[in-house]
Formats: sequence, structure tokens, C-alpha cells
Amino acid sequence: MTARSSLAFYPGCLVLQRMPEYELATRAVLSALGIELEIVQQAVCCGSPVAESFTADWIYLGAYNLALVERMGHDTVVTVCGGCTNTLTRAAQAMRDPGTRAEANCRLKPSALSVSGRVEVKHLVRLLIEREEELQARIVRPLSFRVAITNPCQAFRPGDVMNFDDPMEPQSLRRLVELTGAEVAEYGGEDECCGATLYLANPDLALAAGRRKLETTQTSNPDLLLHACGNCQLLLRRFQRLIVGDDLSLRRQALLLPQLVGLAMGLPEADIGLREGVWR
Amino acid sequence: MKDRSSIPEACIHCGTCVSVCPVEKVGGHAIVSLLTDPESTDHSAWLCTSCWRCQESCPMDVDIYGLMMERRRREKAPAGYQIAFDSILACGLALEVPQEELDQMRAVWGLEPIDLPPQGLARALLRTDRCAEADLTPPDSSAAPSE
Repeated sequence: MTARSSLAFYPGCLVLQRMPEYELATRAVLSALGIELEIVQQAVCCGSPVAESFTADWIYLGAYNLALVERMGHDTVVTVCGGCTNTLTRAAQAMRDPGTRAEANCRLKPSALSVSGRVEVKHLVRLLIEREEELQARIVRPLSFRVAITNPCQAFRPGDVMNFDDPMEPQSLRRLVELTGAEVAEYGGEDECCGATLYLANPDLALAAGRRKLETTQTSNPDLLLHACGNCQLLLRRFQRLIVGDDLSLRRQALLLPQLVGLAMGLPEADIGLREGVWR
Repeated sequence: MKDRSSIPEACIHCGTCVSVCPVEKVGGHAIVSLLTDPESTDHSAWLCTSCWRCQESCPMDVDIYGLMMERRRREKAPAGYQIAFDSILACGLALEVPQEELDQMRAVWGLEPIDLPPQGLARALLRTDRCAEADLTPPDSSAAPSE
């Protein structure tokens, strides 16, 4: 039996407020692997892409969130969105500069917090692929789906900052899908952004990007789409009706990574945010 | 980390950034349009998905992302961005949600209640003046402000 461990969890605004099933499924899968998640209380927005668009001081939002993780006594914080992973990692990197760190700590003083920048930010894809063997041993119900994946852009790029996998053609998510027994349905757009974050600036363009994604995935006729970012799931599943309108041929089920992994681990559907017998 | 150039002069207008941009693929014109066509007037720094493919692909290591963010900070924001930023300043989150509503939703999913950040905290963290300057001022300086 694996020793149980505990890691900090930063869901980010979107998952916290709009996608509880993502948190639920992430907790269920990691718990089965012996990892409990302790949510970061009183966390603020990660800064992506909104605060960063208004001020170069957005890094102090990240510094605050990282300081909360340090106060919890954790060295690793788990993320499930590309944006949070990216900005928290860049904020941690910015803290290596003594002047920036001093400024951050000055701003954190009223909250009785301090930041050293030692916390490592890990997207769920990274956490799982680092435990590939343990995960493989827990696959009890191999799946037979054909799955069209979209890699979470910001968890991999910029490559020299994220330092994980191939930045332009990452393999980890693909490998995780294969571990579940499912087949990766190749459609050529695996490394192409879903376009969700365009929604804030121009909803029509975001929906056009979503439509392009759904049309491209169609070429490989997948059973379902697979996402590892709240933004992808928001656009391609929650907004799918807006995208496809009456064109039912474009409708596709879309799962989140821990839901797919959880199914293969034989976890009850209700525990991973799927309505039993209905979601298919 | 690579030493990236934020100077667009380093750009050789090769078009690699445009070819990998998801916005350009659906007919929008992002900051990359400015790099391939310096006379471009119909591009927008706000039409970017932050996918970083342009930056990762640039053969000249131009800091396209940094250039785009600098432009955004000088320009009027689209309503969606402004509303989200105002929400961050007020409550710390991009979407404002009452604590009670959030906890009720979480309870339905069997998730523990959560503490939201204190109101106004994000605004204080994003203060526009330098906080640490006081710490760098010599102790005998009469101009040193107190906390």
C-alpha cells in the first residue's frame, strides 16, 4: 500500500465557481493514488489572462497565492487549468529576483504572509504522468473509447519556463489516455488552442474557434473529446450548443482528464462527476 | 530561460507566428499581424488566447507575448476584460460569487466549504506604488515613510 501524502490544490476561479465536477474527479483519482488535496483557502485569481492584461504587478497576486501554499507547509501546489499553471509558475520564477521578492513580501506583510518562491506548481497532467507506474497498476477497467485530445496550451508553454514535456508537441496527455486503454483519435489539432479565452474579448471569434475545433475533431470521428483545462471544457462542452446550433452532427461528449482516468480505475461515476448511466 | 528580445526590430517578418496563431485561423487579427505587416491597422492586442505558440515558434526569440501585454496595458480594454478585472479588484476573483451560494453548490457535490479572499485584498496587492522602496531607504533618511 502506498503511503498517503497531501498536496495543496489551487482550483482557480473557473473551476472553483463553475466546474465542481473537475475538482471532484481530480480529488477522487488522486485519492485512489494515495494523494489527498488540501484546497488553498482565501486564494485570489491567478492573474491569467485578465489581471496580467492590465498591470505588470499581476505577479503579486501569484506571490500571494504561493505564500498561502507556503504557510500551509506544502512544497507543491496542484493545478487543473493551463492558465493558473502558467501564471503561478511565472510568478514563482519572478520571485527568484531578490528585488521582486522583497517587493512581494512588502505587499504581503499586512496579510502576515511571506513568499520564498520555493513552491512547485504542477498541473494534473504532470502529477499523473510522474506517477505513471502507480497509475498503470490501478487501471482495472481498460476503456475502449476513441478520444480526441486538446493539450492545455499554457501548461506546456513557454517551454523554457514550464520545463515540462515537448512545448509544441507534448506527449504526456496522450500517454495518459493510452494508459486508460482508450485510443487517441488523431485529428491533427491536438496541439492547437481551443480559443476559449477569446470569449472575453470577442465571443463570436471564440465560438468560431470552438467550431473549427469541433469540425477538425470530427475528421477522426472520436467517441469523446478530452480536456485537461477548465477553459477548453467551458468552450467545447458548456458552450457547445452555442457553437453548433442546429448542426447536431458536431455534438460530442467531452470529459475532463480525471473523469476518463477515474472510469478506467473503476471509480463510481458519481464520484467523478458523471451522471450514472446517463453521461454517455 | 532564453534571453528574449522585446524589440520588434528583431522581427524578420517571416510569418511563422501568424501561421501558428489560432486567432488568425478563424479570421481574427492578433498582435502577430503587426509583426508580419508593420502597417497593419486591423489587428488587436486583445485578440489573443495566450496559447504561446507564436512565441515558442519565433526563430528570432521575439517576446511577442510581452509585446502583446504591454500593448494591452496601454489600450482600452474590451468590456469582458474590464468587468472581470473590476471583479478581481473588488473581490479577488474574476467572477464575483456570494460565499453562501458557492458553499451551497460545493455541498451538492460533496465538497468542503471554502473561504473566499478578503474584499479589497487584490486591490491592495496590486497597489500602484512601490511598497519596498521604504525598506531600501537609509534609516537616517528623514523622507522614509512609515508603514
